[in-house]
Amino acid sequence: MQSPTLRRVAITGMGAISPHGVGAETLWQGLREGRSAIGPLRHPDAARLRVKVAAQVPASFDPAAGIDERTLPLLDRTSEFALHAAREAITQSGLDFDENGLGLRTAVIVGTGVGGETTQDEQSKRLYGENAARAHPLTIVRLMTNASASHISIAWGLRGPTFAVASACASANHAIIQAAQMIRYGQADVAITGGTEACLTYGALKAWEAMRVLADDDCRPFSANRRGLVLGEGAGIFVLESMEHAQARGATILAELAGSGMTADATDIVSPSADGAAAAMRQALDDAGLAPQDVDYVNAHGTGTLANDVTETRAIRLAFGAHAGRLAVSSTKSMHGHALGASGALELVAVIGALRDGVVPPTANLDQPDPACDLDYVPNVARRMPVRAALSNSFAFGGLNAVLALKRAP
Amino acid sequence: MTGTIQQQVFEIIAKQAKTDVANVKPESTLKDLGVASLEAIELIFEIEEHFNISFPDQQGANFDSDSAQSLVDAVQKALADKAAADEGSK
Repeated sequence: MQSPTLRRVAITGMGAISPHGVGAETLWQGLREGRSAIGPLRHPDAARLRVKVAAQVPASFDPAAGIDERTLPLLDRTSEFALHAAREAITQSGLDFDENGLGLRTAVIVGTGVGGETTQDEQSKRLYGENAARAHPLTIVRLMTNASASHISIAWGLRGPTFAVASACASANHAIIQAAQMIRYGQADVAITGGTEACLTYGALKAWEAMRVLADDDCRPFSANRRGLVLGEGAGIFVLESMEHAQARGATILAELAGSGMTADATDIVSPSADGAAAAMRQALDDAGLAPQDVDYVNAHGTGTLANDVTETRAIRLAFGAHAGRLAVSSTKSMHGHALGASGALELVAVIGALRDGVVPPTANLDQPDPACDLDYVPNVARRMPVRAALSNSFAFGGLNAVLALKRAP
Repeated sequence: MTGTIQQQVFEIIAKQAKTDVANVKPESTLKDLGVASLEAIELIFEIEEHFNISFPDQQGANFDSDSAQSLVDAVQKALADKAAADEGSK
């Protein structure tokens, strides 16, 4: 349902902390070169884990760099990632929130799947493992799911609607959609949004192992030899702005967030449904005023599990009909891993790069075609091609689907 | 729970499938018994806990199509591997 009074949404800043390193451009350069950041798991308890590979933010990441020393002790790793990514995005946007009361017209909506897992795990270890008598007094403020959003709000004096969104692996896309809707409907002129996740703790890794969905070698989306997903971590944060606000101040517009679609499968707690995903993609196209043939690229959810890749392929065919075969579809999770609640945000960096530079990042490790996955997945090597519009898919455990529709900057 | 390994495994399957153990046949697949997806993973966990063993990861495996007998075989292999490992560490 598109109302003529809705405002358009521009993206005027992006920032990322990812397995590729610090910075959205660092991530994008890695992806367009087809370079994977998946490697051997670095963890103190690695010997007691079956998980052998992960996509981790490099050890060289310095959480303290540029962060106020009184703020640092308050931060879980999720908030560290989010603050660094937010600073990069806000700096790129060039916005001054003190000017004309803009702080009050700015929303902060950040997605995260589990929130402060590192803090939770440390306290559990202390209390149950070491029989400590007391928890650290900052435990609650570090682990609360809204901590990242609140720290961004405090650091830049942003006083508009501020909260967290949680929908497992679709958290970032749901957050970005919520932020965009606020701008479209005039509740805010600017929104800082995206996703953050840092949950590679011993407890969480054990829980993922028990589900038997993790690959032991590499992430191979859409390839017949795929063996599951590879866990990742990181944050992607964006500055969204009403198009008129961005144009009036002469901002550099990275892309237009033109529409979105959200559905629930309402079937199984983990097994995905093609109908639910297809309905979300159709909604996103309609909402953005796009016909299937207007879209050149789909950044797939593409986890590399048996179930996702076949179902998503069917869903793309359902949503795009005859045009599905002409789409470039790729899973960048093959390179940055599955950052769960942050994955949609890392993938939005890839989509913005594709729209802006006319380069579609590849699906790495696709060396054995699967007859059940029969689209053009841009195997292994990036493709130079004009990208007018793109979709970015995120599908979550719980049967939740959130799809972004983006257009090249006007 | 006592009895042969087969009886023990069948009883765990029957419990997960919420059916009588008489309905579990060696050739029954988990899917036949209505144990699919996450429930199948849960069943594997129950068997591991009961026998104190670890099944190797079966990435890409579809437990839904595993037969009751194949799970019994897997338990026997895991128990034999464990006994050999214990022997080796003496």
